[in-house]
Amino acid sequence: MAEILLSEAEKAFIHHGVQDDLRCDGRTRLGYRPIILETGLVSNASGSSRLRLANSDVLVGVKVELASPLSEKPLEGRLEFFVDCSANATPEFEGRGGEDLANEICRFLQMSYMSGDTINLSELSVLAGQQCWVLYVDILILECGGNLYDTVSLAVKSALYTTQIPSIKVATMDGDQPELELSEDPYDTKRLNTQNVPCLVTLMKIGNHYLVDPTPEEECCSSSGVVVAVSGSKKITAVRKIGSGSLHPESLVSMLKTASEVGAVVNKILMKKLLEEETAGKTQKVGFMR
Amino acid sequence: MPVDSRRLQGPESAFSYTLLEKKDANAEESILSADLQKMLIDSNHVRKDKRKPTDARPLFLRTGIISQAKGSAYIEQGNTKLVCGVYGPREVQKKSDFRLNGQLFCEFKFAPFSCQKRRSHQQDNEELVLSGLLREALEAAVCLHHFPKAQVEVNIMVIENDGSPLAAALTCASLALASASIPMYDLVIGAAVRQLPKLLLLDPTKDEEWQPKLNHDENNSNLTVGFMPSMQQICAYVHEGVSNPEELEQMLKIVTEYCLKVQPVVQLCLKETVEKMLASEGENNDAE
Repeated sequence: MAEILLSEAEKAFIHHGVQDDLRCDGRTRLGYRPIILETGLVSNASGSSRLRLANSDVLVGVKVELASPLSEKPLEGRLEFFVDCSANATPEFEGRGGEDLANEICRFLQMSYMSGDTINLSELSVLAGQQCWVLYVDILILECGGNLYDTVSLAVKSALYTTQIPSIKVATMDGDQPELELSEDPYDTKRLNTQNVPCLVTLMKIGNHYLVDPTPEEECCSSSGVVVAVSGSKKITAVRKIGSGSLHPESLVSMLKTASEVGAVVNKILMKKLLEEETAGKTQKVGFMR
Repeated sequence: MPVDSRRLQGPESAFSYTLLEKKDANAEESILSADLQKMLIDSNHVRKDKRKPTDARPLFLRTGIISQAKGSAYIEQGNTKLVCGVYGPREVQKKSDFRLNGQLFCEFKFAPFSCQKRRSHQQDNEELVLSGLLREALEAAVCLHHFPKAQVEVNIMVIENDGSPLAAALTCASLALASASIPMYDLVIGAAVRQLPKLLLLDPTKDEEWQPKLNHDENNSNLTVGFMPSMQQICAYVHEGVSNPEELEQMLKIVTEYCLKVQPVVQLCLKETVEKMLASEGENNDAE
């Protein structure tokens, strides 16, 4: 995250606010900042979304391509994540500075998607052992305003929700060269079931309390926290402790319990909003004009 | 994510011969939790390697195995073997990078022959993430303010991976740091536990560990924890798999109890290291 310079007085101010359940921007400890979400912005991608959580801006594009499946999993397609921290986001990301963070986010996303039945990968198989769909999920971090993990996971979930996979039929085998036929109707597509796709919830510990959705200043005041991947049914699919500090086992346990409740609520609201956007029909795309 | 952006790597056409193995009826892909449990535990609640579910593998520790390093340690936990070398404190490589607190650089590497599937000789993404986790855990334990503008390097090499490498790495690294006389608040002891639907297995081997590709049923997961016993603080926590908070609490309890039991073993090893150092110094003085 960006190097925020805070004086001791400012840190004390933040600490006291957190104790009284009143943060600098007026939120409670478990409140999120306003989220702006829009899907279907990128015409060349099969699915895309842009999510802005206060000052954190993330653009996700999903492209579907045909490839051969992994030899260990011949009946399944796969998801490949790639996170790119743009140098625009914060001065630290210039050159290769953002690589470590990008790698961590990418890896944690991969892990949380691999645990449990998040996406039914066998739906992505076209021809057993030979061809399958690979979903390349490319995440572009445009602006860094704290709480990147959450922003990225919500944007990815929205992009996957709107991803349209063309329907392909396997024509009769000609010798041993099967032919793939792409449907002539460009709107003949299928969508994935993203009900169980996890959302990440970051909880940072300040003093004796923990916060949801920290701002960069709050992240600077905190020495440790956890990122929890929560799926739709309040189940936890991956947890990682972040930061160079340490946590007491009891605080950790209560943080996990809170995270699973918060995650379930976030998941529900996100799905509701995505459904609303879908049923509202084609309206003017706002895009980056706002 | 592209691993090495400077060198072009051709498509990998080599694959492991184990993929050609005939899949029998107990193929792991199609296994249900109940069968998996039967595979790992028999009716007397004994695991494949004759341990009880709450028994960890025997631990072997030794320091001073790398003569050129400031401090080093070797750990063997069952068949998981790893070596850690600590260098420093020494000047930061890039002068522009120095900070008022010391810096810790960790490198976690699997030897190419350590796992069943050959690993690349360059660090891949998994190893980079493990290095980051190790660094964050050790930063909580090391007194960084004691060596400002300097860096300490911790290099872990896994010689054989038979489950729970991160847990062994945490213990080994803190032992190596302590034997290198780096000031620390407390030792970090690592432990791992595997969750099955009705059972918890402490210190799983590679076969017992949860694999993301295999089992997707609920209440199947892996937890690795780095715990500082004297300070009662958790400095590393990694959980993979589907679980709920109540189960996680149970798993954490088992792991912290184990760490408290292992602490005297690590301390004994350190005590022997110090005695050896004093004895050899005594000989040097006599020789002079």
